[in-house]
Amino acid sequence: MSRLSEYFRKMAGTSISPPGVDLQEMLVSGLGGFVGIGLLALLESHLVAGTDLVLLIGSFGASAVLVYGAVKSPLAQPRNVLGGHLLSALVGVSAVKLLGPHTWLTPALAVGLSLILMHATRTLHPPGGATALIAVMGGPKIQQLGYLYVLLPVGAGAVLLLAVALLFNNLIPRRRYPEFWW
Amino acid sequence: MTEETLATAAPSGPPELSDADIYEAMKEIPGYLDITPGSFKEVYRLAFRLARKRLFEEVTAAHLMTREVIAVRPETPVEEVAQAMGRAGISGVPVVDGENRVVGVISERDFLQRMGAKEGNFMSLVALCLKTRGCVAVPIKEKRAADLMSAPAVTVAPDTPLREILQLFDTRHINRVPVADAAGRLQGIITRGDLIRVLGGLK
Repeated sequence: MSRLSEYFRKMAGTSISPPGVDLQEMLVSGLGGFVGIGLLALLESHLVAGTDLVLLIGSFGASAVLVYGAVKSPLAQPRNVLGGHLLSALVGVSAVKLLGPHTWLTPALAVGLSLILMHATRTLHPPGGATALIAVMGGPKIQQLGYLYVLLPVGAGAVLLLAVALLFNNLIPRRRYPEFWW
Repeated sequence: MTEETLATAAPSGPPELSDADIYEAMKEIPGYLDITPGSFKEVYRLAFRLARKRLFEEVTAAHLMTREVIAVRPETPVEEVAQAMGRAGISGVPVVDGENRVVGVISERDFLQRMGAKEGNFMSLVALCLKTRGCVAVPIKEKRAADLMSAPAVTVAPDTPLREILQLFDTRHINRVPVADAAGRLQGIITRGDLIRVLGGLK
């Protein structure tokens, strides 16, 4: 009985939300996201439009939140961004190759295994879960890429987002990036 | 020393931070910190405990001791011992031989006990004086340091860690401990005051 009430008590939470940020932080974060994703979108429309290739995938939106909006977070550091995306992409493509894209098991395994692998390698990066999922559910154009998906769009995109993060964040006097490389 | 006696010998936990303290501190750091005040507090508590444990091992007798020690010789008359302690305002002195080796310690308690105060503290002597006619220091007149001192002396080596020193003060109910090198030669002395100063700094 007390174990049950303890179980429900845990759902009440114990702490408070961290403070919000000031207007400057909001604007700088927004600008960073705009520039980072803008660069990928621009390259996509000029270089890969009309080919079978892709550069911009949904999980980069999530990475942009971290590398331009929470620059101190361990989750936003280069090791995590690069490692998390690459490993998850690898897991996602492998899951499709092994099980096919149409069972319920494929996306579940892709995300579950990505999580294990990211934790095991200290590269936890939440957008990696989306990267694994996109490998499974991204449609024929993504599936055609096979393991190329790991390098393009995923590897190339992650590197570009990181490059923008490095150049952009350090232009802002109150920011520095990264906290650590590896 | 068990964790329990360590806890009684020194502050056991960090001064408690409130979520509001942490929240205000986080507000002073520009940018978004993806940690809750609660998580921060957990890290702080554990880190404080580890730091305290580390300092209790790293800080040694050599760091804590006072090097200029007032000491007496075994053959010093007790009257002179009492004068020396009174002048310096201290409640105990080590007794050293000709080669500066610590052979004992004399404290107020040793005087008081020999003067008839059974409990060995000042108020029991006052009580004795009030009860009898006048105060009688007679039993110890003509005695020398060697007759009164507690021997063998409890000493610590210069590399004895703070943790062990606290344990020693606790279990032996002493107020000071001479620091002696491997040959037993006096290097310094550590008093309760020294420990309070260092533990105050650890807070």
